Amino acid sequence: MPDAYSTAAAPVKLGIRGLTHRFVIGGAQAPLTVLSGIDLEVGRGEFVCIIGESGCGKSTLLRMMAGLLTPSEGQVLHDGAPVRGVNQALGFVFQQDAVFPWLTVEDNIEYGPKARGLPKTERRRLVEHWSEAVGLAAFRKAYPKELSGGMRKRVDLARAYANSPDVLLMDEPFAALDVQTKATMQQAVLELWQSTGKTVVFVTHDLDEAVFLADSIVVLASRPGRVHARVRNPLPRPRREETRVSDAFAAAKRALWTTMQDARKGDD
Amino acid sequence: MDARRWLKPSVVVGALSLAAVVALYWIVATRPGTNPALVPAPPQILQTFGEEIRSGDLWINTLASLRRVVIGYAIGASLALILGALAGWFKWWGWILNPIIDALRPIPALAYIPLVIVWIGIGEPSRLIIIALAVFKPCVVNARAGMKEVAQIYVDAARTLGASRWRVFATVALPSAIPYFIAGMRTGVSTGFLALVAAELIAAPSGLGFMIQNAGQYFRTDITIVGIIVIGILGALLDQIASRAGRKLTAWSEVRRES
Repeated sequence: MPDAYSTAAAPVKLGIRGLTHRFVIGGAQAPLTVLSGIDLEVGRGEFVCIIGESGCGKSTLLRMMAGLLTPSEGQVLHDGAPVRGVNQALGFVFQQDAVFPWLTVEDNIEYGPKARGLPKTERRRLVEHWSEAVGLAAFRKAYPKELSGGMRKRVDLARAYANSPDVLLMDEPFAALDVQTKATMQQAVLELWQSTGKTVVFVTHDLDEAVFLADSIVVLASRPGRVHARVRNPLPRPRREETRVSDAFAAAKRALWTTMQDARKGDD
Repeated sequence: MDARRWLKPSVVVGALSLAAVVALYWIVATRPGTNPALVPAPPQILQTFGEEIRSGDLWINTLASLRRVVIGYAIGASLALILGALAGWFKWWGWILNPIIDALRPIPALAYIPLVIVWIGIGEPSRLIIIALAVFKPCVVNARAGMKEVAQIYVDAARTLGASRWRVFATVALPSAIPYFIAGMRTGVSTGFLALVAAELIAAPSGLGFMIQNAGQYFRTDITIVGIIVIGILGALLDQIASRAGRKLTAWSEVRRES
């Protein structure tokens, strides 16, 4: 296991202990083990990427961190307390388009603060701030169908951040975007992370994305999904567009690629 | 308005097709041996139409029918949307309501007419109940289906954003099911109208159904035909109103522009 990662210096924000998940797929006799014996810690303010091949259970793991799914065994801890049911202190950005199409951009951003019963003046301020922060100030009255895919993702990000979540969980949020839009959105996520200092757990299958964004990277092996390695990302910050073509980036990517190859070989 | 819009092939052919039906009827009506009292020619029908408007009968009957259909529709549709939404969303409400909804489903509303007359009589409430029953069915079935089709992703998003279960119902499930509600309500317009005429045919002191039935008894075929035409126009008008209101409410759901 190259460059084994020791627990972060910062206090643990999210902890996963002995998490195993099984489910029965249509007609099969024995339940399929999707995730097996996962132990993981995410430090406060850390940007962690979870990477693995499709079908390794990374999305399932993230949904369990949010409490959207309950694991068969083990538990998820948030600030040391076990999570039961949907953890509404966290924000979630989904892979699919989850922006409410029947609400305007500003009503989407306002949804969380409204659900939490914040006063109107405070909600107005949040909408103003976050629509500005994701560059959609001019589109506040627009409906999602009038926006491009990239812009809708910005709405999704603004909606999650406007709710001041303690941690942001992102499930391959940019998988459906074109290369250029994806790069811009990654930059936006980094800026949001730097300006807010909020912990981010980001699931992806894209090596470049993980190297560009993460402090530390969790590599999952498949069938059953388990932690193969946790590596510290050596790429220095701040990271800009030109970082993507630097030697340091290529080296970090090569190292991660090797680790992922090991994870795959472990399967055979 | 652009004149070319009205000269589209589809509009021109459609108008010709309608005109052909009228012409065919005209030929039959003026053929020697046809009794003009039983098969009145179009000019006679137009004249009767004018008389009915001048005498005020047409207005009185149209308003009576309209009032009935609006009240019956409001009762049937609002009950159906409330119960359908509850049955489609909350497990317990579904367990309670689904058997009732599914038992009522295959029965045409008109089949209740004898029962309603025996139980409640031939007064105005009976007619309203029959219309409401006819509107209820398509509305409740569609409302329930719409609530079952709510995308899980929106529910999950709302839950993680801090919404309570009740708030998810009110702010996610209901609005995303609106297109289904509208579909049910549009079908309800036509089934309600059908029931209106049927209810008025049986026993009513006024209304378009009464008008055509009464005229038929006196062999005033011309008045019957005028009544039928007005019923058709009114039905099409109500459907247009429902469809326009529906489009306005679901403007957000039109085809998305892809990036």
